[in-house]
Amino acid sequence: MTGVEVIARKDPSYPSVLEEIADPPERLWVRGTLPVGPAVAIVGTRRATRYGLSLGREMGRAVARAGWVVVSGLARGIDGAAHRGCIDADGRGIAVLGCGIDVWYPPEHEALGRQLVAAGGAVVSEYPPGTRPEPWRFPARNRIISALAAAVVVVEAAAKGGALITARLAAEQGRDVFAVPGDVHRDTSRGTNLLIRDGAVPVLGADDLIEALSLVLGPPRPVPSTSPPLEVPHEGATLEEIVEANGGDAAAVLQLLGRMEAEGSVRIEAGQVFFA
Amino acid sequence: MFAETTSVTMVGAEPRPVRVEAHVGGAKDVFKLSGLPDTAVREAKERVRAAVASSSMSFPARHITVNLAPADLPKGGADYDLPIALCVLGAAGTIPARPIVALGELALDGTVRAGRGSLGAAIVASRMGVPCLVADEAAAEASSVAGADVVPVRTLAEAAALVAGQARRRPVEAASRQRPPVPDLADVRGQPLARRALEVAAAGGHHLFLHGPPGSGKTMLARRLAGLLPPLDDQQALETACVWTAAGRGRGVDHTPPFRAPHHTASLAALIGGGTGAVVPGEISLATHGVLFLDELGEFPARSLDALRQPLEEGQVVIARRGLSVTLPAGVQLVAATNPCPCGYAGDRIQACRCSPADVHRYRRRISGPLFDRFDLRVAVRRLSAEELQAPPGETTAAVAPRVAAARKRQAERGTLNRDLTRAQLDALPMDPAAGDLLERAVDRVGLTGRGFDRIRRVARTLADLDEAETVAEPHLSEALALRGSW
Repeated sequence: MTGVEVIARKDPSYPSVLEEIADPPERLWVRGTLPVGPAVAIVGTRRATRYGLSLGREMGRAVARAGWVVVSGLARGIDGAAHRGCIDADGRGIAVLGCGIDVWYPPEHEALGRQLVAAGGAVVSEYPPGTRPEPWRFPARNRIISALAAAVVVVEAAAKGGALITARLAAEQGRDVFAVPGDVHRDTSRGTNLLIRDGAVPVLGADDLIEALSLVLGPPRPVPSTSPPLEVPHEGATLEEIVEANGGDAAAVLQLLGRMEAEGSVRIEAGQVFFA
Repeated sequence: MFAETTSVTMVGAEPRPVRVEAHVGGAKDVFKLSGLPDTAVREAKERVRAAVASSSMSFPARHITVNLAPADLPKGGADYDLPIALCVLGAAGTIPARPIVALGELALDGTVRAGRGSLGAAIVASRMGVPCLVADEAAAEASSVAGADVVPVRTLAEAAALVAGQARRRPVEAASRQRPPVPDLADVRGQPLARRALEVAAAGGHHLFLHGPPGSGKTMLARRLAGLLPPLDDQQALETACVWTAAGRGRGVDHTPPFRAPHHTASLAALIGGGTGAVVPGEISLATHGVLFLDELGEFPARSLDALRQPLEEGQVVIARRGLSVTLPAGVQLVAATNPCPCGYAGDRIQACRCSPADVHRYRRRISGPLFDRFDLRVAVRRLSAEELQAPPGETTAAVAPRVAAARKRQAERGTLNRDLTRAQLDALPMDPAAGDLLERAVDRVGLTGRGFDRIRRVARTLADLDEAETVAEPHLSEALALRGSW
């Protein structure tokens, strides 16, 4: 495996934030480069709704644009959406796995993980290469996610599940916990609503999140992004709006959008553009 | 004594010569008419008799037989009054028998009224190389047929005098009817996407589907598509004129592509053609070589939409009647519009949509199926804000039309309009490797069906034509992908 290193606790490159927790991992296998700087974890259920997915991605994008590191677990659902958002914004991110870093789980997220590494981020694990994903490893992995981040955002979560564990661990580790409120009857919002009842900070969207985070992390220092291909004003913007937001040359903008759709970064549906 | 004159019947949109033969003999005062005439034609006997008498000519009090041939073509209406009268007078020796085409209804005082088939008469006359006698009012339309020698007549007496060479021909008075101006694309403010879609639709002849809230200008856009299309060539203009004539509407030989917008309550016969008597062309034929606009597509009855499918595919309507199958042209470019949801405001940025997701789903499902597959372009239009409505005018039709014409010319050289490209033809199109890659990725990502795949390739071909490119390149394909607009 190329570009893989093992970092032990005594190594100078061992993230000092991990020393702050009760049971820091002895070693970390790292694919790529561990980015430095303030980090924000964005987590949530694997069984996310379309709404949750688009919000997770929007938040991943916003956090990365603000110049902060996006941390998540590369799982299906919200985790994947957050990582994708990070890649959209050309930001740096960390994916913490519950298996060996050569065992891509879930397999369909291998490409996403590799993109993360290619964009200057890292895929890390406390388990040696070859370790199979076992259910009991994931809660343990969650403590690393929350430890690496200064704040944890839960986008969608059921009343029981990994995301809530991460939030509890974060609170114990002294991290700020944010949660997105939702419909009280919806299973995927029950967890986040419970968190808010128990003291988590409610966030009402990507902009709101950045505002709240800047109180904790200091003002955002946007990384000059390498010319974003296209400005999509908001989720669900119509093609017309996007054409106008980008100077009005319909043919040129449509070409970019078509390319983005073929690459899977947007979805065009009934004339509206959604982040895939 | 025997004489013969030619008149015309419309079979669908095709003018066919009808030979009017008269025989005058015997001493018995009888007037017989044969050759599959309908009631109106049978009544010609009385009108002809009165008109001849009113014209200070004597009606032969002999045994008169008039036959309309060929006998197997149904003939209707009062169009045959004038030819029957002239033929009888010819057979009686009152006027010389001359080869002419004549068509028109006779009033009892001998005045000639315009018949329905005047344009068809002019076509038949120009093919035969003989003069064509029609009523004054119909002369202008008839003389729009190239090579037709149209002779306007006001009365039966004038017609008889002209045939006898005893009167001078009057010139055809130019039509006073002004053609309505074709609406210009410059009136469309903002809407860069919709403009692009119109240009692409016009360039490749693609059927266009527009969806957007009420007041977003869907109808306005559809009307402007007709103006972007290249003018009809002589043959197309003549064909269109014949259809309009057969439908009892005057249009003359006009090179402007027609635009038709039937309401969703229009009957099946009004839409496709048919009717109880003679076959009357429907809207799809009236719009041939032009644009058929169906506003509120979802409101059209399902059977109307089903009935449109085959004509759209074949470019013609075939109406089978007892013993006679009539083919009408139906080479239309279809533009359809609909609201995005029952309340009309889904996706609108000003007004909130009041529909539940289930309502929207049900509404959209109504617009689906085989007819919907024919729309290569599906574009969302949106309402403009007040400032946008006051924006300076956009590019004019005169600026865009030449690009459309150039793209059409490239297609004509290849022999097929891009709308009509089959899968085999699409497979054979030269395509850049990068474009192929993108298409492959899109198939996986977007979940394209076989039909969707073909639609994108057709539109991409048009984009390449607008770009004056031989090969479909990646930018053409990606733009086509974005214009595909799933619904």
